[in-house]
Amino acid sequence: MTKQQYDLIVVGGGPGGYVAAIRAAQLGFKTALIEKQELGGVCLNWGCIPTKALLRGADVAHTLKEAEHFGFNLGEVTFDIKKLVQHSRSTASKLSQGIGYLMKKNGITVIKGTASLLDKDLLAVTTDNNTINCSAKHIILATGATARNLPSIKIDGDRIWGAREAMTPTQLPEKLLVIGAGAIGVEFASLYNDLGSEVTLVEALERITPAEDEEISALAKKAFTKRGIKILTNTTLTKLTTSSNCATAILNSNGEEQSITVDRVILAVGISGNIQQLGLETLGVKTDRGFICTDEFNKTNVVGLYAIGDVAGPPWLAHKASHEAVICVEKIAGVDGVKALNKTRIPGCTYCRPQIASIGLTEAQAVAKGYELRVGRFNLSANGKALAMHDAEGLVKTIFDKNSGELLGAHMIGPEVTEQIQGFGIAQQLEATEHELLHTVFAHPTISEAMHESILDGLGIAIHQ
Amino acid sequence: MSNDIKAISMPKWGMEMSEGVVGDWHVNVGDNVSAGDDLVDIETSKIVNTVTASESGVLRLIIGKTGDTLDVGAILGVLADAQTSDAEIQAFANGLSKQGITEDVQESKAAAAEITSTEPVHQTAATSELKSTPAATSTDTSNSLSSLAAGDDDSQLHASPIARRLAKQYGVNLHNINGTGRYGRISKHDLETAVSNAGGSLIAQQAPRSQPQRIRDDSAVKATPVARRMAKDLGINLNDCRNSGNRGRVCKADVEALASLSNKQTAPEPTTVAAPVENPLTSQAMSGMRKTIAERLQSSKQTAPHFRVQIDANIDALLTVRKQINAANTQAKVSVNDFIVKACATALAQFPAVNVQFDGQTIKQFKHADISVAVAIDEGLITPIVKSSDTKGLIEISNEVRDLATRAKLGRLKPEEFQGGTFCVSNLGMFGIKQFDAIINPPQGAILAVGAGEQKAIVTNGSIVIATVLTLTLSSDHRIIDGATAAQFMSTLKGFIEQPATMLG
Repeated sequence: MTKQQYDLIVVGGGPGGYVAAIRAAQLGFKTALIEKQELGGVCLNWGCIPTKALLRGADVAHTLKEAEHFGFNLGEVTFDIKKLVQHSRSTASKLSQGIGYLMKKNGITVIKGTASLLDKDLLAVTTDNNTINCSAKHIILATGATARNLPSIKIDGDRIWGAREAMTPTQLPEKLLVIGAGAIGVEFASLYNDLGSEVTLVEALERITPAEDEEISALAKKAFTKRGIKILTNTTLTKLTTSSNCATAILNSNGEEQSITVDRVILAVGISGNIQQLGLETLGVKTDRGFICTDEFNKTNVVGLYAIGDVAGPPWLAHKASHEAVICVEKIAGVDGVKALNKTRIPGCTYCRPQIASIGLTEAQAVAKGYELRVGRFNLSANGKALAMHDAEGLVKTIFDKNSGELLGAHMIGPEVTEQIQGFGIAQQLEATEHELLHTVFAHPTISEAMHESILDGLGIAIHQ
Repeated sequence: MSNDIKAISMPKWGMEMSEGVVGDWHVNVGDNVSAGDDLVDIETSKIVNTVTASESGVLRLIIGKTGDTLDVGAILGVLADAQTSDAEIQAFANGLSKQGITEDVQESKAAAAEITSTEPVHQTAATSELKSTPAATSTDTSNSLSSLAAGDDDSQLHASPIARRLAKQYGVNLHNINGTGRYGRISKHDLETAVSNAGGSLIAQQAPRSQPQRIRDDSAVKATPVARRMAKDLGINLNDCRNSGNRGRVCKADVEALASLSNKQTAPEPTTVAAPVENPLTSQAMSGMRKTIAERLQSSKQTAPHFRVQIDANIDALLTVRKQINAANTQAKVSVNDFIVKACATALAQFPAVNVQFDGQTIKQFKHADISVAVAIDEGLITPIVKSSDTKGLIEISNEVRDLATRAKLGRLKPEEFQGGTFCVSNLGMFGIKQFDAIINPPQGAILAVGAGEQKAIVTNGSIVIATVLTLTLSSDHRIIDGATAAQFMSTLKGFIEQPATMLG
């Protein structure tokens, strides 16, 4: 059997893997990337990007509904969901080809196949035609994660959708049940509600978007309810039966059972790492609850073996994977001044309507850590730009350590907040205090002025509220 | 020579300034200038400032063209009254170029005095006529600017990251800056104000230059002479190089590292000879690394009488142990070569006479075995060192060799990681080479050449058995290592390799 020799091999071509490969090639490693499906991974093909393309369609639907407010009379509007799905798929495919170009440009060998570890420095790669062996001193696992099933309920692709089916519908479900109100569940609930489905959103915990600050969750719930999304928290799915044309779910809310019949069900109850069939057991690679354990520089317990991105544990975000990729490769190459990723400074964004974006600690987490807080809030109802846009529902909340002035966390809900959260990210990275931010000039009129006002509010000197 | 003729020369702003780059001229030849008028911008590695006229006159000659890099004191132009003839001006300029430098500001540029009049005028410096002060520069400015540079270590001062970085670029000591931020924190603004008040202007305010790489002054960068010359040949600015040499100097390896990173060959591009020969050829000047390899190996082979001893070792036991270790320990990915390095380390501890360096005069015998491991890289060969390998375990050695080899291939080794060493191991087994003789890596005293492990039929106790055997060849410098010593060393080495457990002791 022929053996291909590389300096570094990356398994998985998502935003962790392809970035690792590019950085490695830049540093002079002879690099190979192994991907069994499309370059770009879930993020680009079945996650972040195609859902954003669909959500743009939801925005358009929402704008059309509001047209009358701005004086437009559109008459009857028709909608062909196939065209929206086509836009989403072509966007994903365009970007995936772009990654292929980047691989070529950087001289990275891309092998289409499924990899499995034979030894610490050896992978068997099964391609369409045959199996080849590839060896490298350094192997980075960036295999990502897959949507989880519930113990008794499995995604069947017909009545019960995972994210993949939910982003390639052939027709709009009239009634939709979304199980799980994390970022993925909330985005689909928002999408299908805007497109015209009757949506019920179920969450086992006491609030939707449970990872966000409580106030933000409450506002999201209020906005969703106002839009006609039925929200059931503290509710679990006890039974789900499907037939050829519908699905019936038995829901348990604090002991009270109710039955609901819908066209489709979306299961969005979390993800688990892709650690199967990788050969991890034979090498004794340590894993924990479905994810590979690593140190702060993404080294596993096995020498020469590294794991980055979703498969290496939370937060499961593309930008976290990409950052880990660069850090991991630079550490291997001995680049000076490589620092471990500070996981408290990773922004999280949810693209429902209104959007949610946050970074750092929630108020409850900050309190639990014993900080003395300086919390500020600013409501978008007093923001000129938001009012002009007729989209003035939202809040900016900032949490500073009263003693050091450190920005511990920032939480936003409202229009385009996902584009604004980086401002707080930069402030955190530069260790700016509220005083530097206080003296930063925010342009008028912008929605981001609310960020400034929130900081002022924390100091008790907000101008516009 | 008329006393009305004045030279405008390259000013010296600050102690570290040895040359400057001529920026834009504010006046043209033939223009009248009054005392205090701006004449020409000068850019140093730290600031951009303007040379002003010390007295009135007509600008008669521009010698320093925009973009030229000139030494401190070099003539930029000539100022005179309108009546002075062109011939006199020319004679004055030529005269300056013939006389050397007398200014106290010049010490390192003594060579300039020897430059004949056929050399470009601007390469020489000012005359005694200029006294110790360049005729047309504002000395107040230079003094106050240089005063900003003085002071103790400012690393503990309260300053914003940007202010700190700019201060470094401008050569400003933060002790001289008045911080106006909260708790006296020095902001970017504070720094800029201080530089402007001292008469300087800020680099960022100037229009970008067309060839920033070339004109950034790197004369003040501490560098070894070899590094400086190599950088010049390769068109590399020393400011861009890491400085891993002694006392923070840029050394040759640093220039080479940058060259290989930016894919610059350490020699000109190969040129295809267009001669009408049947067999086309390319000729290529030697790279710096290739030259070093050539010189060192030639000198080694010529000066050190190589004495070779060869021995076969049965590595079946070693292969079994290797398998066991790698299976049992997730931190172990031990190769056959790692075992050999470990065996050499253990044997060298027993035979310090082989663990030596020799410069032709003195034999240096070392307590610890710093074993160089030859790593083939695209540009040639490099020998990173496993230091004090006699004190390290097998897995530790293995992981260190992997890290060193990885970084060797990327050109990211620090000089101290590949310079020195007391013994060398070179392994060509992965290419299927049975055995070979290696050339000693001076100043080391011996090198071990390792061939491929192969299954062979061997005769043991009167019967034929199959064993995996590899051949080890030691080349030693016979001036300092005796044949018997080399033989005993090899015999001991063979013992460790054949019975790896004995290395545990």
